[in-house]
Amino acid sequence: MLRASATTTNTDIDLQGINGDADSAAKGIEFGAELMRFAEAIARRDHVAITVARQTLLENAGPAVVIDAAGVAANFQRMVRIADAIGIPVDNMDTDIGKEVRSTLGIERFASAQNTLNANKS
Amino acid sequence: MSAFSYSEAPWPVREDIPQAYQAYWQKLARPGSWWTGTERVAIAAESRNALECEFCRARKQALSPYNFEGAHRSDGDLPAVAVDAVHRIITDQGRITQAWVNNNVDEGMTKEAYVELVGVVVTVFSIDEFHHALGLPVEKLPTPEAGEISSYRPAVVSEDIGFVPTVPADGNVGNEADLWDGLRAANVFRALTLVPQTFKDWRAIANVQYLTFEGMGNLVKDATRAINRMQMELVAGRVSSINECFY
Repeated sequence: MLRASATTTNTDIDLQGINGDADSAAKGIEFGAELMRFAEAIARRDHVAITVARQTLLENAGPAVVIDAAGVAANFQRMVRIADAIGIPVDNMDTDIGKEVRSTLGIERFASAQNTLNANKS
Repeated sequence: MSAFSYSEAPWPVREDIPQAYQAYWQKLARPGSWWTGTERVAIAAESRNALECEFCRARKQALSPYNFEGAHRSDGDLPAVAVDAVHRIITDQGRITQAWVNNNVDEGMTKEAYVELVGVVVTVFSIDEFHHALGLPVEKLPTPEAGEISSYRPAVVSEDIGFVPTVPADGNVGNEADLWDGLRAANVFRALTLVPQTFKDWRAIANVQYLTFEGMGNLVKDATRAINRMQMELVAGRVSSINECFY
């Protein structure tokens, strides 16, 4: 969805921000590096890193951004567990945008990729 | 003091967030489709135990998580099969398999019960994670309410995706007419529909933490949010990547 949103807004971004590269996260996305680090700390459940990242985001972007970013991160802590606990496959593996994202991020290495790759074989 | 008052929060929290959390807490305490109110609250408590479970920590490092013996940190209020399910969903969800879900049925947990358990676990977890992100303590779990489970099952389900039956994309008819609009639904929306109320409960939380169905169609910026869609998806993508989620 990041690629789709960037395409819609005609914004040049670098998907490697998803993989944790701060410079990439900042490309075309306001407060991108700060948001990426906040999200990363939440997903890793690193309380010290959360405190530091939250304060940095707060000082740069303000409290409303912190609240909404916390909400999105919390939502996706849930969504990944729904997807994997139920074993749902990717809806469409044939779109160009999906192929580009998977190739760029190298996510076929994840164990849960089997839920899609095996489903497509059968 | 009422639940989710956020009176101690250092910054104002959008008012739709505590409203949704309060509504969910009330539902959590009540009998569901396949678990009683007492069991649902016990599932929620177990989702918190999983985060401190040494056995889960060790199993996460094991190459073969299904051949790893040990005991979970648990309150002991649920069957062992349910405790293990809760802990796996929280700590090692990427290695859940069809075979394990099927085996749980043999151990006494139906797929319907599993789906409702997944819904409770992930919804409570996401509310707790919101608090952790903001440096706030988690909310006290609600007091369970007595009553009977509904045992409701949708009339039409299919087995074309995932480990459990789901309402098909065009199955939003009859009692399930309010699941979504139109004839298309992404697999992630269908995932929990074997227990329609579970699907509705997590959607209500997603509406405030992320976006409504309608809001998801806006790839630029939702007027009710302080961050635009690219910023949202960067956060979403980084969380998903660290969790090694392919979907």
